[in-house]
Amino acid sequence: VCRGAGLSRGGAGVVVRERATGEKLAVELCGITLKTPLIPASGTLAREALGEVEGVYGAILPKTTTPEERAGNPPPRVAETPAGMVNSIGLQNPGLERFLQELDAFDLGLPLFVSVAGDTVEEFGALCEKVGKDERVAAIELNLSCPNVECGGLTFCATPASVEEVVAVCRFAVPGKPIFAKLTFEGVVENALAAEAAGADALTVMNTIPALTIDAHRQKVLVRGGLSGPAIKPVALRAVYEVSRVVGVPILGGGGVASGMDVAEFMLAGATVVQVGTASFVRDPKEILDEFVSYLDGAELGATDLTGGLQEIRS
Amino acid sequence: VKFYGVQIKDRQRVGNYTLLLYRWRGPVEPGQFVMARANGYTLDPFLARPFSFYDHDGEVASLLFEVRGRGTALLDRATQIQVTAPLGRGFEIDAAGGQVALLGGGVGVAPLKVLSRRLDELGMSHDVFLGFADARTAEVAREFTGSTVATMDGSVGSPGTVLDAVASLEGYQAVYACGPNPMLAAVKRVVAEGSICQLSVEERMGCGNGSCNGCVVPVRGGGYVRSCVEGPVFPAEVLAW
Repeated sequence: VCRGAGLSRGGAGVVVRERATGEKLAVELCGITLKTPLIPASGTLAREALGEVEGVYGAILPKTTTPEERAGNPPPRVAETPAGMVNSIGLQNPGLERFLQELDAFDLGLPLFVSVAGDTVEEFGALCEKVGKDERVAAIELNLSCPNVECGGLTFCATPASVEEVVAVCRFAVPGKPIFAKLTFEGVVENALAAEAAGADALTVMNTIPALTIDAHRQKVLVRGGLSGPAIKPVALRAVYEVSRVVGVPILGGGGVASGMDVAEFMLAGATVVQVGTASFVRDPKEILDEFVSYLDGAELGATDLTGGLQEIRS
Repeated sequence: VKFYGVQIKDRQRVGNYTLLLYRWRGPVEPGQFVMARANGYTLDPFLARPFSFYDHDGEVASLLFEVRGRGTALLDRATQIQVTAPLGRGFEIDAAGGQVALLGGGVGVAPLKVLSRRLDELGMSHDVFLGFADARTAEVAREFTGSTVATMDGSVGSPGTVLDAVASLEGYQAVYACGPNPMLAAVKRVVAEGSICQLSVEERMGCGNGSCNGCVVPVRGGGYVRSCVEGPVFPAEVLAW
């Protein structure tokens, strides 16, 4: 699979003209223009925090919605680890109806992506049909891989057959809008191929990794959930890289992105868009964007030059 | 989340606790909190820690905490810290008056200092009851003039919990409490029907701005709400404890 033209540097004697920051940052994802390649990872940007991200993200992605309201898991839900955190939120959300009623709050004049999760193939299909008809929604991300919800067991989320089935049903339900399949690390290449074959327009790689924290003083499990943060970055980078080698659809890369250099690395590994999640709890996302702009300036490159632009012969 | 660097002006040892003072202008409501960390963004510790404002006089803010792990140990030594504040919903004070009781348990006495200051400003008389494990943690009680103290080991004040320091909560129009969640649940059970009872909860937090949904408390009628945005102070009747 041949994607992208690789890095296009000015040759010897060629003056690379400084491009305006806006032009330098903009990327295109499934026909949607994003002012920057950064978007929030689902479940990491509350309505109350939108004021903090103005001018940073190219699209907005609110927390996953399910058909009915979900209370989520009992606390404790978060535990700190070195370079990250383990969470077990359990997809707490008010359900689709209220989600759509409150969606205007997320209107920052940016493309709006909606993350959905169902317990069954039918639920995924029904969600997509309803969300897809909403004209405010630019694209749908299928949360196929939340480690904190036993949606018919892990197999439902993580085998190529189940991924293909869900994506195919959703594809049929949303003929006119892009759908992204969000995958977990386990079996990511096979699942990516299955999602692409079933008609996914893009792939989100990757979700948190199953993890556990223990309170040895109390001899108890603290949080059994998904690990996020810089601790998982090299794993996520590998996943994006491996997937990008075998699929033709764009990738929304993420997992531990915490700096502008991380953004560049994910794009070089093959991502078109990069998701920022846990890092936004501990850093100002604006700083991450500024660092990325500095990187582009230093490298005399635009964001679109980076995607899949590693200097190597790719097979 | 955007953090701001502030210089530590003073650090005081108060028994088992540390009091950090730093210059902080801007509005602070009693019960609101700060996410704080010692050295800016680091991989370990990774998250900032939530602390109630202990006091704020318009110029200087202070945080009271106990060293429990690496995050607080580093804060204990820091000459400069990073904060994001003010966060959350604080105590809602009913200026209609009546007798007010403040109940604090352990390091949970923190927000009662600035609350007491506010009540004084409003000319509302109030009684302060504090419960501690032992004499060393109870030293902070001296910061609360006229407070009534209980200790679990009986070394200071009445033996037992903060509720053993209170003869009766009847007759109080409003009860404001902060401490470990089991203490708050016990306070809720004994507050007279019809009285105002507001509880400042303690939960582990990820972000402090409502995004991670990590710091939830169970509410009546089912489900959970975030203590960082909907709280950390809740009317007692809202909580499913």
